[in-house]
Parts: sequence; C-alpha cells; structure tokens
Amino acid sequence: MTDSLILGLSSGSSCLVTCGMVMFPYLMAGSAGVKRIAIDLSLFLLTRLVIYFILATLAWYFGQALFSNQVVRNVVPGILYIVFAVMLVWYSISKNRNQECPAKIVKTVNNHRLVPIFLGIVNSLGFCPALFIILTKGATQGTLIQSYIAFLAFFIGSSIWFLPLPLAGKIRKKEVLKTIGILATGLAGIIFMIKGITNLIGGIING
Amino acid sequence: MDNALTSSGMKKSFGRSLLYTLPMFLITFMFMTGGRPDFSRPASALAMVVTFLFVNILYFLMHYTGKTDKFRAILFIIFALSLSFTLINNMLETRNSMSFSQADILECKIPFCHLVIPMMILPAAFTNSIIFPGSIIGGFANIASMVVLWLVATLVLGRGFCSWGCFYGGWDDGFSRIRKKPAIKKISEIWKWMPFAVLIMVSLTAALSLIPTYCDWICPFKAVTEFEQVTSVESATKAVIFVSLFAGLVVVLPVLTRKRTQCGFLCPLGAINTVSNKVTPFTIKIDKKACTECFKCVEVCPLFALSTEGIKEGKASVFCSKCGKCVDACSKNAIHFGIKGVPSCTMKNFSRNLFLFVSFLFMSVFSAGSIINSLQSLLNLIF
Repeated sequence: MTDSLILGLSSGSSCLVTCGMVMFPYLMAGSAGVKRIAIDLSLFLLTRLVIYFILATLAWYFGQALFSNQVVRNVVPGILYIVFAVMLVWYSISKNRNQECPAKIVKTVNNHRLVPIFLGIVNSLGFCPALFIILTKGATQGTLIQSYIAFLAFFIGSSIWFLPLPLAGKIRKKEVLKTIGILATGLAGIIFMIKGITNLIGGIING
Repeated sequence: MDNALTSSGMKKSFGRSLLYTLPMFLITFMFMTGGRPDFSRPASALAMVVTFLFVNILYFLMHYTGKTDKFRAILFIIFALSLSFTLINNMLETRNSMSFSQADILECKIPFCHLVIPMMILPAAFTNSIIFPGSIIGGFANIASMVVLWLVATLVLGRGFCSWGCFYGGWDDGFSRIRKKPAIKKISEIWKWMPFAVLIMVSLTAALSLIPTYCDWICPFKAVTEFEQVTSVESATKAVIFVSLFAGLVVVLPVLTRKRTQCGFLCPLGAINTVSNKVTPFTIKIDKKACTECFKCVEVCPLFALSTEGIKEGKASVFCSKCGKCVDACSKNAIHFGIKGVPSCTMKNFSRNLFLFVSFLFMSVFSAGSIINSLQSLLNLIF
C-alpha cells in the first residue's frame, strides 16, 4: 500500500505540473463559489476513482490469467517494473515532459456540467509510466481486494495534489514545487526499479 | 573601525587570539573532564589532553589567521572519521560484527543518528510511537539526547549544523578537498532541491510503513557504520544500495566536483536544516560595495548556496551551511559572517567572533567524546 501511495503522490505532482494549469480554468470556469468548486472537484475525483477501480478489476483478472506460475509471477512483473520505472525516470529528466497535456481536448466539450467528468476520464486514462506500474502491481496482487487497495492508495496519493487547485493562483513558488515534484517522480521511478530488480532476482533464485 | 576591514582584517595578534581562545579553553576543559581530570589511566588521560589541545589550537588559529573553513574542516573531518571508528569499534566489541540482527532490532540496540529525525516526526505525531529501534534515554547514542542536541543546534545554527555538527558531513567534505580543481564543473542547480524530494518520500513512506525507510534502504553511511545482516535478496539489495550511494555520492562525485554531493543532493535532514536557516540569527552577508563580482565565492561554495545572481543582489540563499569557505576565498572581505537585522557592512568582526564561538563550541563538545575514544583505542592498540 505504501509504495502505491508514494507512486500516486509522485505521479500526482508531475500530473499537476503538466496538466494542472490546463485543467484549472476548465474546472473553475463559471463557478459561482466554494460550493460549485467543491462539487466540480468531487465529480472530477469521483470519476477518477471509478476509472481506477475498473482498471484494478481488469488488471487483476488479466494478471490471474497471465501470471499463473509463481516464477512468472515474480520475473515478468520484475521486468515490467524495471521497464516502466526507467520510463518514469526518463519522464522526470526529459525536457519534453511539458509538451502536451491530454486534458486540452476538453475544449471540445460544450456542456460545462460534463467537464469535470470528462477531465476525470482523460486524467486517469493518461497512460503514463506511473499508471503502467500500478497496473502491474494490481495484476500481481493475490486477491481482487488487494488490487483495489493498491489502486485506492494510488488514487489517494495522486488526488492530494488536486485538492489545493483552487488556491493555485496564490502559490508563490510554483517553480520550486514543480522542481521538487519532478525530482520526486524520478525517485519513485528509482524505488520501483529497485523493487523490480529485487523481484526479478528473487524470482530467478526461487525458480 | 570594524566597518572598514581589509582582506586581512579578521587576523588578530597572538595575545588577542589567545584571549579569544580562553573562554573556549575553559568550557572545553569542563566538558571533557567534568571539572575533575582523571589521570589514573594513562591512555585515557593522554587521549583527553591531546584532544583538548588539538581543539583549542584549531580555535586559536581561526582567530590568529583570520581563516575559518580550513580549521573547521580539519576538526569536522576528524570528527566524521573518529565517529565511524568509535561506532564500528563499539559494534565489534558488543556484537563481533558491523551488521545487526533481527534480535538487535527487537531489543532496541541500534545506535541512533540524527538522519532518522525527519522520519520520526509524522509517526510520533499520529501514533505516539518512535519508529526507530534504539534506546530512548539510556545506552550508547540514545534517541533523546540526539534529538535535543540536533534541535538546539538547528535552531541556533540553521543549516550550519551540516558544517559544524553533523558527524557524517566530514566524509564528503573531506573527499571534496582531494582535487585542487573540479573535473566536473557544470552541475544543474535543480539537484539542490533533491533533498526536499527525498524528505517528502522518506517521511511519507516512514509514516505509512512505520519503518525508518531512509535508514532501511538509502543511507550511504551504513557503509561505514552498521547495516542489516545479509540474509535475503532484499537485504543484499540494501547492502548494494548503501555501498553504491556511499561510493558515488560520498567519494567519487565530491572528488570530481569539489562539492558536498551527499549533503547537497540527498540528505533529508539537510532539507529541514535549510528551512531552519530562516529562523537562525546567523547568516552570511555580502557587502555589495566591496564586492568586485569575481564570483570566486560561487565557485568554492560546496552546497550551491551562492549564485552569480544572488551575489549581484547581495544575498546568500537558504542553502548556506556557514562553512566559511566563501568568506576565506574573498580577497576583498566583501562576504562575511553576519547577524540578521544588522546591516551587511557593519560589525563584521563581532559577528564572526560570536558565530565562531557558538558553532565551534558545539562542534568541539559534540566531537570530543568520539575523538577521545578513538585515540584511546588506537593508543591501547599500539601499546
């Protein structure tokens, strides 16, 4: 649970860095006050939670089918962790990370009421390395409940960053927060890389 | 008079330097002997006398030569080496090994170090528990005394703790002085924020898992102190991480960059000390009128606390550990120790004297025990 939460926290920060400022005006546009902001944010977060639970279910079922053998259960996720963790580290050091936010397609939505739901879907399905890692984790859990818990922790970690979104305009040192967020993403990548290597070696030795 | 100091203005006459050393002489004597010197054991007495003289000579030389960093670094590096030596010696005597077992953890026999503090805060606040398997008040390197010492030091010295109090800092400080010129000159300043990312990571993981994750998985100084017995793939992975980080961040990178890379790029406690720099009364000040913008200070700063933009604005950043390297490097005496609220070009000598007294006293008292122990062990070994 801890590593899922950390992964969520780190990916949430980088997600906010890339998409926060794009999503902010849409989430807040036309809002009449705190109540409306709270409703829109809640809808946005709820949509993400639902999507994550669907992904947790799918990942677990596919995991059960694919990783039936105990050695495969250690080795394949180990390799996947390493690959996705390298992608996550690469993402954190890449200079092109801020190129495009998928949430920009929200411009095509005319109904303002649907914007938070649409953003929630786009945001949670933005297939970034962190999501691949949590999908791998979900797939290797012993029970479906454990897979849900992993995704729930990932959701909580990543959602914390969105809660102060209404205050984004008032944060003075955005660049510093952005830098720390990006470095934290890289660190999360390293953590999962180590986890992957440990799994892989453990799988090979036990096999 | 104090406002118009030249580059040699921090030097003092022999007699005056001796006078400034006298209070340090008396206080360190009291701390090292408890007021009652014991000469019944020759090795112990000799170790104590040598340490006492050594510490006071360094302090005297700081005043006499006007140089700070050179003499600070000598004690700082010896402190780091002697502490590792004392710890290893203690563990070999009590356990016959540098590694600790699960039984040692269950019996709370693990020596505590200040790097654990960032990870203790959240669990202590939310669960009223201390997540480190060490002794709270009794025994070797107990938790309470270390927390109090660190708290006092960080409130008074801010990040100065990293250059005057940390018993690990001397390792990379020492290695960063091996080469005359850096082999790697261009380092992105983005890395100076890494300790904050590490701090967030380890605090949260520790709070959620109730395990001091930095000590368990990251701390490079495990390589020179103690580590978990290698009994599984996981513990072997940890050992590889400790040794790799020590080799990379404490040895190789400091040698190549002449920067304290472990302190600057990894240490989570350094991040907290950076924040506490905001409340400490001591600081580094830049006299813009005297500054010729040669940027020698920026070049020598081991912790990326100075930048060309900052110098032009007359500001040192919160990353400053008050090591005094920039002060020694400035030929115009434009950069100096200062006290917050006092204008930058005034009371240079007074500010330096006050800061040196407080910081050096802390370092000498803190380091004396391990230096005496190490010397004593060496003397016992020789004779």
